[in-house]
This record gives sequence, structure tokens and C-alpha cells, in this order.
Amino acid sequence: MIRIFYLIFINLVLHSELILEITESANQPVKIAVLQKNDSSFKGQEIVNIISNDLKRTGEFEVLGLDQLLSIPLNESEVIQRDWLLLDVDSIIFIETKETDNSLDINYSIFNVSYNDTEDKRKVLGLPDSIRQSSHYVSDGIYEFFFGIKGISATKLMYVTKNSDIYRLMVSDADGFNEQVLLKSNKSIISPAWSSDAKDIAYVSFENNRAQVFIQNLESGNRELILSSSSSVSSPAWSPNKKFLALTSTMDGNSEIYLIELKTKKISRLTENSSIDTEPAWSTDGRKIIFTSDRAGSPQIYEIDIRTKIKRRLTTEGNYNARASYLNKNEIVFVHRGTENFNIAKLNLKTRNLEVLTSTQNDESPCIAPNGNVIIYATKDGSLSYLAGVNISSKVKFRLPALYGELKEPAWSPFLR
Amino acid sequence: MKNILISLFSILFIFACSSVETVDVQETKTVDLTSSESDSGSPMSELDIGEPHTKVFFDYDDDTLREDALSDLLAISRLMKEDSRYTLLVEGHADERGTREYNLALSERRASAVEDFLVSSGVSSFNIEVVGYGEEKPVDAASNQTAWAKNRRAELYFIK
Repeated sequence: MIRIFYLIFINLVLHSELILEITESANQPVKIAVLQKNDSSFKGQEIVNIISNDLKRTGEFEVLGLDQLLSIPLNESEVIQRDWLLLDVDSIIFIETKETDNSLDINYSIFNVSYNDTEDKRKVLGLPDSIRQSSHYVSDGIYEFFFGIKGISATKLMYVTKNSDIYRLMVSDADGFNEQVLLKSNKSIISPAWSSDAKDIAYVSFENNRAQVFIQNLESGNRELILSSSSSVSSPAWSPNKKFLALTSTMDGNSEIYLIELKTKKISRLTENSSIDTEPAWSTDGRKIIFTSDRAGSPQIYEIDIRTKIKRRLTTEGNYNARASYLNKNEIVFVHRGTENFNIAKLNLKTRNLEVLTSTQNDESPCIAPNGNVIIYATKDGSLSYLAGVNISSKVKFRLPALYGELKEPAWSPFLR
Repeated sequence: MKNILISLFSILFIFACSSVETVDVQETKTVDLTSSESDSGSPMSELDIGEPHTKVFFDYDDDTLREDALSDLLAISRLMKEDSRYTLLVEGHADERGTREYNLALSERRASAVEDFLVSSGVSSFNIEVVGYGEEKPVDAASNQTAWAKNRRAELYFIK
């Protein structure tokens, strides 16, 4: 049994493609140190390193290295407050690892330097071979403690790579580790989408020389062609309850949005218009869908109530607004062209305030992290696309350059717990 | 074996409370369509259709046929009306600007614009097949006006 475990996990640790570079840090990052508590072990240090890297990757923490410290306490009682005040450190994170044959638990406490006291204590239960994932949960707990928003280190990213005309649909941990190939093809793969329970995915594959939508189970690799049609089928989006897939098809002669009930395969048409209607995305309550339509001459974002079929136009500013998703009840994120460049923008539906979030040029495919606070999108440098991102509350900007070939079509997993 | 693994996970993860979290790890499988054992099995999948017979070009975010395309299309129309055995494949394409899915729809409309023109000139729609590739198959991968103009196109192939 143990041996089987090892095999599975060794296979998961592949070379990572996603190396994150912070291009704009937070104005005032939280200064912390992450230390092993009571004991110093190789495994403990590995955990401390994973957590430190997770926190650095947010761009919202400044994590001091051991060589920058004036003293290294083994636990809270050994903290010499003056040393830490001098360094202007906000908090010390103590990490204690407890390992048995079949468990690896991490206790962590957050010690506030100015109060000279422990502010919070938490615990993550894991398996000996889930070090990385357990550490990410610790990072997310620490992040949530400081910012009141759930952390996203323990989530996954799906994306498409292209190297010498081979397309790969990949999934990896949010930090780029455990990269795995879901689909390898000679033809383009676009629009990957996660189901709400992160067990299945949907995507568009051109493997049969036209756009077709497939559903694939992550664990078994089993695939199902959704809607066998001689027309193109694309832009899949799972309903929050996983019962429906919204998609676009030209089966009635023009690009329209349909809902397909996955169990019965019953199809209902949502839009009826001679213009392009595409890129459906669900509201979190599953009652509304936003989509792109050029019915007014240029692509703009519209919203439809699924039950009443009442539509309203949401975007008015700019001559190109497309591929929208709900950030929350009142805000949407989409590709926006003001005058020249295509950027990612956010629109508040109540105040009508439009905020352009990115400063790169050919931005597309924005996806929102499950905490609703980070957006990753694809952009281009010359002819090669790579991924970049922006943190909405802290304004931290980062990029994930492709080590080789191209990186595109990112899709952020839901929370995996 | 999988069931035993799953139950082991569940046993270990049963202790959740507000300050304690448990960890789940998921495994995945690879589907490889590039190998010979590929199950995609479509008759079209490896069709080599050579170079396009004709290309027509479009303006930015537009699916209207330009005047410079009409003489080529009329020649094709004459050919197809003379010999009804001809079947035409019209592939629509878009430049890289804007979103992939919108471009897919736009490219299919471009291909349909060619089809509509030919049908209105008397060609049977049964002899025309239309497909959109969006921005997925650029002829020029550069990011400038010249490349974009080349990529906003419909390619016409005689496939029979």
C-alpha cells in the first residue's frame, strides 16, 4: 500500500513550467519570518520553504531569510522582541511538524511582534506524501489571517502549452509544481473549464478539424463528446451545480448560446439573434448568464436571466468588450479595448465604474481565482503568448513566462476542499 | 485498490474542525491524441487538402466580403455551376486580436459570407462546407498590421 502511494506521488513531481515573477509588489508588504518551532529537521525546513515561497508569490508579504535575522527563536518564549522591532517585522510564523508512519500534521502559530504574543494557532492534517499540498493549506491559512481573504496556494491551474506544434492541456498546482498532461494533441485546444467540484473539465478541441466540446474526467481520463454536430460547438461553461453546460454552437446557422442538461442531453436555446452570441459565463447563483454579442455592431457584454429570458446590455464604454466572468454579484471582469490595446478590465454594475486592470497589450482569456481576488490572463510578447496576473486588492502584478514554447488559456480551479 | 485508498483518505480527513484542515490530493490521467493509438478516428482528422484554391480577406472585426474578393468568387461560382461534382470547403480565420471564442464565431461568419455569396449566385449549398478556425491557424504569427491583414481570411479548397 505504502509503495503504491510513493509511486503515485513521485509521478506527480515533474519539472515545473510556471515560474512566477512579481513585476509590481504591494505598496506595503507585510514583513514576516517563517521559522521551524522547537526542532530543526530536513522535512520541517522543506515545509518552511514551501510556505515562504507561497507567501512571497503573493507579492503581499516580505519574507525575511534566516541570514537577515538578528536572533532565531525556537519558540514563542525565546522571542527577543527588540530584535524583531528593529527589523520592523510584523509577525513570526512558527511551524511545527508532527510526523508518524501514516500522518504528517503541521501546527502553525502566528506571533505578533508588537503585541509580543501569539495571535492565532491552527493545524493542518495531512499524509506523509502530501507535504506540498499540506504546506499550501498552511500558507492559505496564514494569508487569510492577514488579509481576510482565502488564500489560493492550495488551488490548481489548468492551461494550454504549445511547443513545436504539439498542444498540451496541462494542470499543475498554483505554484507550478506537480505539472501533469491532461490532453496531448496536434490540433488546437482552447477554452478549458473546471466543473464546480474540480473532478471534471470541459474544453474545445479541434482534433477533428472543427471546434468540438469534450468533457473529461480527471481521474479516469474518460472523455465524452458533447453535442455531436457538423457545426462548431465551443465555449463550454459548467453551471455551479454541475448539471448544465452552457455552450455556443452554430447548429441553427448562427452562433447562439445553448444550455445542455448533462444527464438527459436535453438542449435549450438561450439566445435568438442574427448576430454573434458566444462566451457564456454563469453567475454564482446559477440564475444568470453573461455573454458576448455583437448585436449592436461591436462585441459587448450582455446578461440574460435564464428563467425569464430577459436580457440587458452591461457594457457601454469601449468598442470591444468580450469574454466576461462574474467577479462577484456586482462586478464583472472581461477583455476590454478602449482605443488601441486589448486589456483586462473590471466593471462595477452598480456604480458603472470601469477600471482597466492590466497594462500589457494583447490580453485575453482572463480567469478569476476562486477567492475572487486574483486574475490570470494570457498576453503576448512578440509572437509568443505567456500568462500574467493581477491581484485586485493589492494591485500586485506578476507574470508566468513560458520556459519554452507558449502558455495560454489559463483556467483556475475552484477551492479543492 | 483505489477504493482502499479513498477510504484511507476519508478516515484521515474525518477530523475537520474550524482551526484544523485536512488535505486531499487528486491524481489525473493523460489522454494522448498524437500517438497512433489515438481514438479520435475522424475521417477528416488527417485529411491533407493542400494549398487553398483561393483566399479572400476581411477588415478588422468584419465579415463583409470586400469588393476585391468578388471576381475570384464569381470565377469559383462559374466553375461549380458548370460541374456539380465540385465540393468546396471554406475555412474562416481571424487575426489574434480580441478573444479566441469571439474570433471563432467571427471566422465562421466570414466563411459563411463566402458560402452565402456563392449560394446567391446559384451554387448549391450542398456542395459547400463551412468551418471556422478562429485565430488558431495564423499564416503569419507576428503581431503587426501586415500579419493581422493576412490572417483575417477565408481559404477556399476544392475537396472533391
